[in-house]
Amino acid sequence: MAERRIVTGNYAAAYGALLSRVEVIAAYPITPQTFIVEHVSEFVNDGKLDAEYMPVESEHSAMSACVAATATGVRSYTATSSQGLALMHEVLYVAAGLHLPIVMPVVNRTIAAPIGIWCEHNDTMAERDSGWLQCFCENNQEVLDMVVQAYKVAENTKVLLPVMVNLDAFILSHTVEPVEFPDQKDVDEFLPRYDPKHAYLRPKDPMVVGSFASPEYIQEFRYQTEESTQNAKEVIRQVNDEFAEKFGRDYGGAVEEYRMDDAEVALITLGTVSATTRDVVDELRDEGKSVGLVKMRWFRPYPTEIIRDIASRVKALGVYDRAMSFGTGGPSYMDTKSALYGHSTIPVLGFLAGLGGRDVMVKDIRLMFERTLEAAKKDRVEKEVTWIGTRGVQP
Amino acid sequence: MKMKDLPEEDWFVNGHTACPGCGGATVVKIAMKVFGPDTITYFPANCLLVFGGTYPLNSFKVPYLHVLFENSAICAAGISRALKRLGKTDTSVVAFAGDGGTADIGIQALSGAAERNEDIIYVCYDNEAYMNTGIQRSGATPFGAWTTTTPVGSVEAGKGEYKKDIPRIMMAHDAPYVATATLGFIPDLLKKLEKAKNKKGCFRYLQIYAPCPPGWRMDASLGAKISKMVVDTGLWTLYEFEDGKMTINKKPKMTPVEEYTKLQGRFRHLTKENLAALQKYAEDKWRKDQALAEAYS
Amino acid sequence: MYEVRFHGRGGQGAVMAAQALADAAFVEGNYAVAFPWFGAERRGAPVLAFTRVDENKINIKTRVYNPDYIVVLDEKLMDFVNVAEGLSPDGMAILNSPLDPEEVDLGMSVKTATVDATTVALEVLGAPITNSAILGAFASATGLVSIDSVKQGILDIFGPRIGDKLAEKNARAAAAAHDRIKIGKCKAERTYPEAKKWLPTYQEMPLSLATKPTKTDSGLVGPGSSVENKTGSWRTFTPKYDEEACTNCLMCWFYCPDAAIKRLEPPKKVGFDMDYCKGCGICEEVCPADAIEMVR
Repeated sequence: MAERRIVTGNYAAAYGALLSRVEVIAAYPITPQTFIVEHVSEFVNDGKLDAEYMPVESEHSAMSACVAATATGVRSYTATSSQGLALMHEVLYVAAGLHLPIVMPVVNRTIAAPIGIWCEHNDTMAERDSGWLQCFCENNQEVLDMVVQAYKVAENTKVLLPVMVNLDAFILSHTVEPVEFPDQKDVDEFLPRYDPKHAYLRPKDPMVVGSFASPEYIQEFRYQTEESTQNAKEVIRQVNDEFAEKFGRDYGGAVEEYRMDDAEVALITLGTVSATTRDVVDELRDEGKSVGLVKMRWFRPYPTEIIRDIASRVKALGVYDRAMSFGTGGPSYMDTKSALYGHSTIPVLGFLAGLGGRDVMVKDIRLMFERTLEAAKKDRVEKEVTWIGTRGVQP
Repeated sequence: MKMKDLPEEDWFVNGHTACPGCGGATVVKIAMKVFGPDTITYFPANCLLVFGGTYPLNSFKVPYLHVLFENSAICAAGISRALKRLGKTDTSVVAFAGDGGTADIGIQALSGAAERNEDIIYVCYDNEAYMNTGIQRSGATPFGAWTTTTPVGSVEAGKGEYKKDIPRIMMAHDAPYVATATLGFIPDLLKKLEKAKNKKGCFRYLQIYAPCPPGWRMDASLGAKISKMVVDTGLWTLYEFEDGKMTINKKPKMTPVEEYTKLQGRFRHLTKENLAALQKYAEDKWRKDQALAEAYS
Repeated sequence: MYEVRFHGRGGQGAVMAAQALADAAFVEGNYAVAFPWFGAERRGAPVLAFTRVDENKINIKTRVYNPDYIVVLDEKLMDFVNVAEGLSPDGMAILNSPLDPEEVDLGMSVKTATVDATTVALEVLGAPITNSAILGAFASATGLVSIDSVKQGILDIFGPRIGDKLAEKNARAAAAAHDRIKIGKCKAERTYPEAKKWLPTYQEMPLSLATKPTKTDSGLVGPGSSVENKTGSWRTFTPKYDEEACTNCLMCWFYCPDAAIKRLEPPKKVGFDMDYCKGCGICEEVCPADAIEMVR
């Protein structure tokens, strides 16, 4: 029987690795991810997890070790945050380019300068073009479940791409809440051993992995990554459904809709703000306002078709971002507009709040809905990007 | 293993596009004859990657991985840990990196792998500059040498600093096996390659001198000769550091360094004072290496 | 606009020649661009460089596929590289060759200028470096730039790289070659085998290029496949082997960077695989019995 315990998001992320029976772990500590590497080293030293544990000298080396181990033919795992993710940057592209299905929890933390340790999504958003798939979690249960699901998506032969499982710094990483732990036997049935056919290193069956390639090959190589990324959309749905069937938790696939029946406007969210937004939606519904929540769970691949469908059912969309693409807007906002261009003429508004780990308050989310309702009424965008809770800036 | 006992078969095959007379290609050819088919190789971004691994051709008959530039040691370690999981601990995992990828950008990963005593063979083929990008100075470039980033100008000429001593740094990690070698002393080179291969389950570091005719402004036929001379002058000490014990394999003749430098255009501009400084470096190095061997006897 | 493609080998200065020609045209008030195409090859391997010249600003940024002129720095290249590929039928070939144009076979009949640039270079520079002499031949054969501008181009481009003194010598080499060209029309008797290259679709291409040894229509790919690349064509000097003198010490076999020397069954000793020998001469240098001599 599955047991329930009160644990942190970091513990859930680490336990997801244990349940996934990862074979090589390369780890380097960084606040607020540190507990993940501590927990996995405890699992290994206590004999609960039979894996090679590599306490490496940097995040660059952590990702390099995962790339090499996965290229050799085993399942590998690491976790990082913020500057650590930035240090991995060039290795991330190799992991995706070589189609190595690595899974990595990223505890989303603001990137220096100024140095801070609290939540912002500018670490993971900087890697959105790296070829990695990216999912965002709302609570600790989802963190655990998504580590297991991420391996299943990543290792699907139609995908074979690495996945970042994003969890908000401190808001999840250091917060305890009840989590149900699936039985190992069930996870083993859900997630079989990694047995690569496309890339491995075996002296009896030699293969070249990682070549110097001329322009004659690289464009086709890039297209392969694009195709895999597109394929991931269907695989994400299948894995979600299979997981729901086996473990009883259905996350809705790439996007979860909350109270979206007959909603006039919706707010698109990433990460833990989705949870607070549920309450705000309930409140506003009680007040008779027709609002709903679109919780974006998988940001890469971007769920273009789903967002278009949602846009066809509402009168305006608000998009909440916890990161800024300077000079334009939040990355999720930009992608939403890009998906809708030519398909929808409804107003789309961008909202920035909670940067650097500042709390995103109920009143902030209410303001996002109010503005979006106003835009729906006027059928017009008066202000594209609204910074909420910024001293000296009129929201 | 004697030279005559080396197999005829190559695992680094011909058709590679190294420059004529490439010392690095010879080092790799011979090393692969010793390491044999049960080997997985790793290459950083270096000449070898380009001349031996330009898609779709490849000169290696054994499994081959390239990831990036500065992570040779950790990538080799990642392969080795995965093999351990798969129960294939007999397979040798070898990284072939140049001196720039070792002494400069790769030293962090190298140090980490040595400290954790990863089960890998790390071969630094030392051609004393960044040759792949067109002869730029590295930490392992010798004093006085011209490179494109230590040009012979009217104010400064050649590298002003001395060669970074990576084998000594590896010794400071108490690595189980550290050795220096050149193509000029065949039995010594083969013995060290064999030891590196057979000393399983631990970190092994080989620094092998690799003449680069274009980079050293040297005739393409001189690779073997210069590999002997560098030892004779005392600029390169042949030694082994094995399980804490250091053994010098060859007492240098201490022939004047000028005999060595005059064969290479990269040293053509050296003044008398420069040559005296390089001579002093050779004498100091030999003195220090002897003292080290004494301390680690 | 006219477009020029230079054929040389890594280390012969084809790129500098292309740049010096651009500089010469620029000196005369034109707009000019010059650029290399770098493959993976190192010293000795065939390389390409391009020059475009026009009175007006040049916007096109592609390589040159249908040149008006080809310039070949190394006559041996013509043995295995189809240097005239894509050359305009109204165009012209400027070749380093001691032969008359009529004796040269480029596989297409086209106006041709030959010059013995190697001899000129040996006379003037004391080294067989032909990238300056060939430019003098280009000037006189085409009339597109004056020899004075070519000399200026050489001083401007070569000077900062090799020093003003050597640059001046190179300018003299160009002037010497200017008066020693022969103009005619080359033969079109040979056919070059079509260059084979494996160009899979993205579906055929192994995912992430992770490749096993595979036989394709264009030859082997993957581990051990570089044997397809016959680097013997790079060679300028060739080892002449005296089996009688050979003591079978195997030093040449050990040191050959290209594994072009093979051990043979006794009583034979070693054999040379000329498909791969790049002519570095290390075998001659290490042979204790003087059984190997490098010859042109």
